[in-house]
Amino acid sequence: MEAIRAEGLTKRYGSTLALDGLDLRVQPGEVYGFLGPNGAGKTTTIRLLLGLHRPTAGSASLFGIDAWHDPVAAHRHVAYVAGEPFLWPSLTSAETFAFLARVRGRVDADYERELVARFRVDPDKKVRALSKGNRQKVQLVAAFASRADLLILDEPTSGLDPLMEAAFRETVAEAKERGQTIFLSSHILSEVEAVCDRVGILRGGRLVDEGTLEQLRHLSAHTVEVTFAGAAPPLPPLPGVSVAAAGESALRLEVSGELRPLLAALAELPVVALTSREPSLEEIFLHHYDATDGRVG
Amino acid sequence: MAASGSAAIGRRAFHDGRVRTLSFAALFAFMAYVNVSGYEHSFPTLRDRLVFVHSFGDDASVRLFYGQPYDLLHVGGYVAWRVGGFGAIFAAAWGLLAAVRALRTEEDAGRWELLLAGAVRRRDAFLAVLAAIAGGWLLLWLGLWLGCVAGGLAVGGSAYFALAALTPALVFAGVGALVSQVAPTRRLALELGMVVLALAFLLRTVADTSSGAAWLRWATPLGWAEQLRAFADPRPLVLLLPLGVSAALLWAAGAIALRRDVGSGLIASHDRRAPRLRLLSSPTAQALRAERGSLIGWLVGVGAFAVIVGVLSTTFQVARLPPTIRRELARFGATLLTPSGIIGFYFLFFVLAISLFACAQVVAARREEAGQQLETLLSLPAGRRRWLAGRLALAVGGAVALALLAAVLSWAGARSQGADVSLPDMLGAGANCLPVTLLFLALSTLAFAAWPRATTGIAYGLVSVAFVWQLFGAALGAPTWLLGVSPFHHVGLVPAQDFKALAAAIMLALAAAALALAFALFARRDLTGE
Repeated sequence: MEAIRAEGLTKRYGSTLALDGLDLRVQPGEVYGFLGPNGAGKTTTIRLLLGLHRPTAGSASLFGIDAWHDPVAAHRHVAYVAGEPFLWPSLTSAETFAFLARVRGRVDADYERELVARFRVDPDKKVRALSKGNRQKVQLVAAFASRADLLILDEPTSGLDPLMEAAFRETVAEAKERGQTIFLSSHILSEVEAVCDRVGILRGGRLVDEGTLEQLRHLSAHTVEVTFAGAAPPLPPLPGVSVAAAGESALRLEVSGELRPLLAALAELPVVALTSREPSLEEIFLHHYDATDGRVG
Repeated sequence: MAASGSAAIGRRAFHDGRVRTLSFAALFAFMAYVNVSGYEHSFPTLRDRLVFVHSFGDDASVRLFYGQPYDLLHVGGYVAWRVGGFGAIFAAAWGLLAAVRALRTEEDAGRWELLLAGAVRRRDAFLAVLAAIAGGWLLLWLGLWLGCVAGGLAVGGSAYFALAALTPALVFAGVGALVSQVAPTRRLALELGMVVLALAFLLRTVADTSSGAAWLRWATPLGWAEQLRAFADPRPLVLLLPLGVSAALLWAAGAIALRRDVGSGLIASHDRRAPRLRLLSSPTAQALRAERGSLIGWLVGVGAFAVIVGVLSTTFQVARLPPTIRRELARFGATLLTPSGIIGFYFLFFVLAISLFACAQVVAARREEAGQQLETLLSLPAGRRRWLAGRLALAVGGAVALALLAAVLSWAGARSQGADVSLPDMLGAGANCLPVTLLFLALSTLAFAAWPRATTGIAYGLVSVAFVWQLFGAALGAPTWLLGVSPFHHVGLVPAQDFKALAAAIMLALAAAALALAFALFARRDLTGE
């Protein structure tokens, strides 16, 4: 049974279509990266997955339990870190942990202590006096210490410094090792690239691409940079090869499909340096977004 | 550049408070108009007026709200008393809310910091906020003045009266500005301001109701408004007091605002403490923990008022009146002349206060949703129906406690003066507060479920309009069926009158229906942020 399953999940706010027929499956134990720029529908998706908003059409279920119709049962499996870390301003961090744990009904107290130390949370400080990043840490500690089967994280590292970002990655790795499922909404590509098994890219309320990083890379173009002795000569037209940028004596090429024809052509030319690399997630991501602007990715 | 920046801040502050300001202005205009036109209607002859002067006009318990009358034989003096005494309290509350909202609330939310990061000097930003408050005050003045003039009072006299009645707003805007500098949070600032307002009210109460304490009127801004004696014996020089004090408070607030760190207050906020783990076992327990302070405030306020009402209930001595006047008085409802009659009349104000408390609880629930704490709660295994039911249980529990306290303490107050009032009767008066309270609780909850962003306005608006309509609608000559729209119209003045069982049953049935609808709607709607 899937940890998350959405079928034709659609949400309309007045005349705005925020989410348009999303189909999503996340297997138990998987770390799923949910990518998209601001306004793509990431938070809407999460609110539907948690049954906080009602789907206009379609359905969402967590571990086979419908999120809208039976949220309490579904939430027994879930811990959530909200994108905006609003907590109860008059409670201290320790009181917040106690409150959330009691309402949830379970907590791993030892692990909580470990996480408090790891994330350097000051347990006696009131939430009111915490910066955004520190409130985010309080949420993260509470969520991971619950050892919930499924962690739904909405841009959890916004506001964290690089040290804490590293602590976050460590904690995600531990959760994954224990077999917990993680749904990580983000627009920090390096983070998703570092921790996620599978990635979905959301644009305008639709899932435009999904797969493992290898799969996504395979479908996208390689980047080949060539430096010549002297001025860059004209290249013969080759299928799947386009010139992305041209300098005095260098070319940057985008190659989709086979590299061999290009290499054969280059063998005839005075090449002094050649680099080839797979596209980064950033390039895959930008590729999907640039297309909407009419620019060629 | 800087000038346009501070102008924008001023406009923004004015815009933020416009609904509240316009509501208060409309209320003042309505109260003034109704009382002007109602005077001729209620007291057509000199004889009627004399009877009134020697009965209610003399009664200490009536002065509790309306203050000291100076001339009840003419419509102007009557309006200055009826509207001015009551209105001064409203005006003070407006001034306090306006200043705290524009200064401390903005700073608490971090928006003030954002504004000051722009090309605006602190002094200019502060002055811009004061200008916005002054603009709002001018609207209140215009409303009150127009209400008087529309009813037929003299233009000049009305202008002076409106100025006099609204001087507490100026003083309490100063108080609000100062507590906004002292307190580090919105909540503490409001609490401090409310304490000052309660003290001012208490001083006026003592000055107006105890013999030999009239000099205390000089010690409270609410008393200064009385001392201006509009329409009776105007003393414009007294204006120097409120204007001077207001200016001094604002100057002090400004001086502090220029010196302290943005985001802090003179009182350091206690941001660290060892964990206190009581009342954290469920969302409802935590809500009780959060509302504890305000619940205690309500209990103290209602309790103090109940004691005062009880003690004053015996001040009206029918036996002292000449027999002819006693006969005339019967026309005005003789039940009001006994201690239980006066208590019964004042319990209408307890019904109002407890209904407002119930509304405040729904507004607090809404604030938990708007602040997105509810989103965090409902992502846990906590159901939304249960959360709402817990919040409502808290409201009902608080309302019952308030009603019980009002009953017991006003009984104790009356007994201390030897009045013949029985405890069971008074408990009945307390219970009599609850059907209306539950109805308004249910209607506020329905507003919360159906139009979450409008919760505050609808909740407080319904109660206020219904109450004002009950107090003054009759003076406008409105037909009975139209008066009956207000739930307050159907409250029997227990213990002097009988409990109106049918009306109570209908209100409870309506409340149940509204609650059922509210739960159904809330279960189906999206959580809604600010």
